[in-house]
Amino acid sequence: MTGLIYLACLLAGIGCMLLLDWRFRLFFWADAAAATLVTLAGTSFLLLWDAAGILSGIFLRGASSIATGIVLAPELPLEEPVFLVFLVLCTMVLYTASARLLQNSKRRRTP
Amino acid sequence: MTYTLLSLGFLAAATAAGTLIPRAFGARVQWAAVAIAAAALVVLTVVFDSIMIGLDLFSYAPSLISGIHVGLAPVEDLAYPLAAVVALPALWTLLARRKDPSTGLLLRRAIVSSRPISWINTAFPFAAAMLLTTREVDWLLVVGAIYYLVPYNLAMYGINDVFDYESDVNNPRKGGLEGALLPPALHRPLLWLVLLSNVPFLLVLVVAGGPWAWVAIAVSTFAVIAYSVPGLRLKERPVWDSITSSTHFVSPAVVGLTLAGSSFDAGLILVLAAFFLWGMAAHAFGAVQDIIPDRNAGIASIATAFGARVTTRLSLALWLVAGLLTLFAPWPAPLAAAIAIPYLVNVAPWFRVEDARSPETNRAWRRFIGLNYLSGFFVTLILILFWRLTA
Repeated sequence: MTGLIYLACLLAGIGCMLLLDWRFRLFFWADAAAATLVTLAGTSFLLLWDAAGILSGIFLRGASSIATGIVLAPELPLEEPVFLVFLVLCTMVLYTASARLLQNSKRRRTP
Repeated sequence: MTYTLLSLGFLAAATAAGTLIPRAFGARVQWAAVAIAAAALVVLTVVFDSIMIGLDLFSYAPSLISGIHVGLAPVEDLAYPLAAVVALPALWTLLARRKDPSTGLLLRRAIVSSRPISWINTAFPFAAAMLLTTREVDWLLVVGAIYYLVPYNLAMYGINDVFDYESDVNNPRKGGLEGALLPPALHRPLLWLVLLSNVPFLLVLVVAGGPWAWVAIAVSTFAVIAYSVPGLRLKERPVWDSITSSTHFVSPAVVGLTLAGSSFDAGLILVLAAFFLWGMAAHAFGAVQDIIPDRNAGIASIATAFGARVTTRLSLALWLVAGLLTLFAPWPAPLAAAIAIPYLVNVAPWFRVEDARSPETNRAWRRFIGLNYLSGFFVTLILILFWRLTA
């Protein structure tokens, strides 16, 4: 069961990002189709980066007991694409939320 | 390749995308918001990356990293969130809340354009060919199967729909099950979507394959593009149209075989040849129903060149030869000869069809789409038998 801890943390993280997204209509709840494309593009780009790193022998999978141990490809654990989706979601929630806050404060200063 | 160089390369690509996309399309990124998000991401990365490395979730080859660490994290790791935060907001600004067309409309039309009912026709030959050679589902098979399931079909039919727009306007058969009429405002965005969804997959397949895979991928990609782009438009060159169309379905199998390092013996070549003739027959017969609208629009095809009757008979002959060819391949391939029979029976009633009544062959064409699923089922059974016999 401990093998599921890392994956569960990532999924919980994704869940939290989506909750923020839903509450403030930032990303998927602002434009679902655009968010889908951005998430796909971002995740694919970062996966290609991972793949290049793995092929160059830079990235090595750890022996942690909190990972499932399931690999999608040599040195590429099941959790990695989930992590990359989380990173993209976190990035976009941070950006869209910052943009919203900046706009709101600007509006308040110039009524 | 060191991690430093690799990271700088990908970060540069992301920065280029992040700065060039807004400039090229007039999208307005809020760079102050990017800066705030970047600062937060750097802090989060240092903290959580250190925790993840501390828990031994992953490690780095010591000789390939710069050795500069922030906490436990190699400084190069910061390039990941920085690349994301510099490129993705630009993409988002370009795509979100667009009007005419909205991104939602573009995606929906892209899916219709890619003919979901036909996705399996290209993914299956690839995956089956590769699986029967390597005997395992590895990452390359999964990546390739995803590519030949969606992006490849989006390229094939999307490019086709963009450049067919004019003739499609005059063809009532398009717009439903068998095609989609694509509004001009979607043409450029769709071509971008095709490019961006295909290139990364093709890069991966090329890097993973050897010279023979490169040849197969080149032929396959050329056939997809050359079928409908202005200048080449092989779909309007009689006979070449059927050859190119068949290449669309056979080449994924050949790419799968070359990626898997298969040896092309006589039996395999016979089976591929039968598959190729089957594909030509399918295209030629499919063109018969469009003879009248095609001629009205001044478009040539194998069927407008030879006429309904000759083309229908040619299709019957090609299906027959395809079936006969499999008889000469090693067991259990000869079983596939029986699969030709329903195709012959389906089309035989139009043996004497005249050009004026060619639209009626649409009835057989509709059954043909169903027949493909049935024969896919039997081909799968034969492949399973082959698997067991050669295990």
